[in-house]
Amino acid sequence: MSGPKAAGDGTLVQRRYVHGLLLRLCVNTAGGVGILFIILYFALSRPLHGDYAGVFHALRNLSPFLRPILAVSVLLYALLACGSTSALCIFILHKVAGPLYRMELVLDQYRSGAPTRTVSFRSGDQIQPLAHAFNHWIGSLRRDRHRWLATMMDAERHSLQDEATCRAEMEGALRKIAGDMAKYR
Amino acid sequence: MKTRILQSRQPRIRYANPRFQGPAVLAFAAIIATGGVIFWKLVDSQFQRVFLHTAIRGHYTFDSAYDIVRDLLSWHLAGLFFAVFLAGSVLVFFLVAATRDGIGKAVDSLRTSADGDLSTPTGTGSIGEFDRFGKKIDDTRSDTLTTVQMIRSEAAELAAGGMSPEEFRLRWDELKQRIRTIAP
Repeated sequence: MSGPKAAGDGTLVQRRYVHGLLLRLCVNTAGGVGILFIILYFALSRPLHGDYAGVFHALRNLSPFLRPILAVSVLLYALLACGSTSALCIFILHKVAGPLYRMELVLDQYRSGAPTRTVSFRSGDQIQPLAHAFNHWIGSLRRDRHRWLATMMDAERHSLQDEATCRAEMEGALRKIAGDMAKYR
Repeated sequence: MKTRILQSRQPRIRYANPRFQGPAVLAFAAIIATGGVIFWKLVDSQFQRVFLHTAIRGHYTFDSAYDIVRDLLSWHLAGLFFAVFLAGSVLVFFLVAATRDGIGKAVDSLRTSADGDLSTPTGTGSIGEFDRFGKKIDDTRSDTLTTVQMIRSEAAELAAGGMSPEEFRLRWDELKQRIRTIAP
């Protein structure tokens, strides 16, 4: 039961989800590069008119003119690509971030002593085994709690008998409960 | 009406968790920005060289500057695409691996908790958000263990006897109440 393998790699983060993320990243990157190409194409595709000297001077003067265009187009590419990739990160990664946030709320709720409900994530959310493991743990605690209370109530039934028998039954129940609780370490 | 009240009390799942998504967004932005800067530096220096060389060489058989740098630009754009996509993919795989490792350990920890082991640390690793989450699970398990151990010692003390029936009854009822607080 050691290491993340035991949790079941396949179900924690589904392969389909990873492929979807990679595909969207590919489309995003291609879109950004495509926009950069379009800007540079329009900047560079102006016809070079005139005679030999005119074209020579146009080519000589092109370099200083291209520098700011190149800088602006790369900046525009970076802004667009960063914006779309950030949106992608927020809307794709929320399938991991959302359940994680939900689990934090549930843990806080549990520690505050408020009644804990069964945890379930949205369909399509990743890290589903986390909710199952938490529900399993809380379920086993509740089963133990019910058993201990049942043991105590069973001992209380002897209260109609004489004092000594009742006390002996109750002390026996307490010893049983204490022994049962020894499994928690 | 009752259902509506219950629904409104149910905690909403927030879509953005800045502590988790923020670093991922910054890492992707850093990759894109780095790719852009490298592309700019390379293309700028090569354009300067190519246009100067073409102007000096003569034999102007082209209609526009684009015809001169078409291949160069295509190769650099292809390079930018593959570099950014590959680096982004590596980051995606890193995020997935970190999630599988961190959450996998948290799941294992909760499973062992169901068998009674509430003290072995979760050990979710050193990645910020998962480390914090692992510590939160450990704190929850530790609280439960403390409660169970307190109840156990109280039960053992009561079972040992040596107290008046009135005191025994009082502590018995208190113990029952305390047991009810486990996993409410």
